[in-house]
Formats: sequence, structure tokens, C-alpha cells
Amino acid sequence: MEQNILRRIVNWLRWNLGFKLSSNMALITGVTMGVLAAVVQGYFGVQPPAGDGICAVSHPADLVNWVVDKVFGTSFVSHEIFIAVPVLTSVGFILGSYAAAMRNKEFKFRRGPVRDHMQAFILGFVIINFGMLWGSCPIRTAVLVSYGMWFAVLILGMMVLGVVAACLYIKWKVRRAN
Amino acid sequence: MDMAAWKIALSTLVLGAIVGYLGQRSRFCTISGVRDFFLVKDSYRLKGLIGIIIGGVLGFALVNRMGGKLANFTNPGGWEFMPMLRDGLNIAPAVLIPVSAVGAFLLAYFSVMAEGCPFRQHVMAGEGRSSGMLYIAGLVAGVVFYDFAIIPYLQTLTVTG
Repeated sequence: MEQNILRRIVNWLRWNLGFKLSSNMALITGVTMGVLAAVVQGYFGVQPPAGDGICAVSHPADLVNWVVDKVFGTSFVSHEIFIAVPVLTSVGFILGSYAAAMRNKEFKFRRGPVRDHMQAFILGFVIINFGMLWGSCPIRTAVLVSYGMWFAVLILGMMVLGVVAACLYIKWKVRRAN
Repeated sequence: MDMAAWKIALSTLVLGAIVGYLGQRSRFCTISGVRDFFLVKDSYRLKGLIGIIIGGVLGFALVNRMGGKLANFTNPGGWEFMPMLRDGLNIAPAVLIPVSAVGAFLLAYFSVMAEGCPFRQHVMAGEGRSSGMLYIAGLVAGVVFYDFAIIPYLQTLTVTG
């Protein structure tokens, strides 16, 4: 029944708006993220702070802090709501991705895009420290923009500038090598 | 933990699993979206970043209309609601704003070098890619370093009152 309705909606979008599912999968993922962030905040009480339904920087950090606090009795700084509750978003990311990869026979132990293992470790170490200075990943920053926080627009702009600067550096490096 | 705490923990797990599943199928990445568009004018992944804003606006508006509890939704405010301002950190905006902006800039810069945003790295770890797994290990070590070395320094910049 639900599948039938979903198929009808997709067909309607395809024929009336030229909408193709395969070429808009990232858009659908993004829209789903935004909607789910609102749902968990509004109906499941994932707040304060506001707009904290989904994050790949502060949520893993809060989970690590929660575990360290429980094991060693420390009191590291965490988001108010996650002091007593473990936030499992990052575990969910990995489990969901694993399930999708297994279902589509894409799971395989292999090297990633960063070939040097030490470099991958250091990048994770460095990026979380810079990310924690702002306190959010680009996904949560976009969620905060949609929540109406004007300062998040400035921060999203800084992130775009950071990507552009890195691209220009890579271009310069390639040109120099040639 | 009481029922409310379990509800929050489980909701974040389910949300993460749904988004992780979709992220693996769509190759969603916020950083690569901007990078691909800038380098080769490919807008496929950039649509994902735009989609979050569209989904967020629709989602928050609907949840607010349908009786969901959204703190400060009608008055989201400015810097005083910044994510870094958490328990024990009450840093003056003159320090907080540039530090946050530089942090965001450098997060994006190094994420291009890592070939993906932090979310994409989680997804790659789930796919069995060793660089994603080591990135997560570095992230965990980085959080502990941040707690021990950076937070005490930031607390010296805290304003009281």
C-alpha cells in the first residue's frame, strides 16, 4: 500500500517535473536529514541546544565524553541534553552505511581515498579540533541556517571559503608539478 | 537511565542509521558538494547541502505547526545561541566569533584534504574503508585532546557575570 503511494509520487514527480530519482539521491538525502533533524528535536526532545538533531562533529564528541565520564568519572563539557544520555547518531551513521553496503554487496575492506594511514588519523584528529571550535559539522550548520540562526549563514560562508581555498591550493600544486 | 533518556538515545540511533543508509547510497558529502561544483561544475552533491536547508525549513515549520516543541524557534537569536557556548564556556563574542569562523574555515580546508566531510568519513568507515576507520580513531583521540588541552585554554577566555 505504502509502496504503491510512494511509486505514484515518484512517477508524478518524474513525469510532471522531469524529476529523476537516481540523479537527485543526494538532494533526497539532504531533505531527509533536514526533516529528521526537526522531527527528533520537536517530538523526541533532542534539545537544548537548538537545531542539534544531527551532527557529525559534536555528537561523536559528546559520545566520547559520555563514555570517558562514565569510565573515568571525569566531567568533560558536553551538550546539555547529552550529559546523562549517550548520543548514538555517529554509531547509527556507521551501522546504516554498513547495512546499505552489505545489502548492495559493496562492503569490502580496502584503503580509502587517503592512502597514508597516519595521514588519515592525523586529519581526523585535526578536523575534530577545528570543528569543535565552531561546535558543529557542515550538516548541522545548514540545519541551523534553516532554523533561522543568522550567524550560521556566516559560518557556512566560511566553510565554502575554506573549500575554495583548498581547491585553489590543489590546483596550484598540480600546475606546479606539471 | 529513565524512559525519556532511552527515547532520546534510540531516536538518535535510528536517525543516524536512516541517514547513514541514504548517505551510502547517494555518496552524500557537504564538502565534496562545494568542491565538485567549484572544480568541475558538478552540482549533484551540492544539491544535498541545499536539500538540508530546504528540508530543515519545511521540517521545522511543519513540526512547529503540528505542536512539536522547538526551543527559541520564533526567536533563534544570534551569537548567544552559538554551538560552542556550552556548559562552563561563556566566551565573549569578540573572541568567540573569530575563533568559530577560523575553526569552520579550517575544518572545511582540511576536509577537502581528507576527501570528505566528517559525515562522509563515518559512511566510508561503514563501507569498510580503512582511511575512514582511522579518521574516526583520530577523531576520538582529537576529542580527548580537545577536552584536556583546548577547553582549559578556552575557559581562561570565559567572561563571568
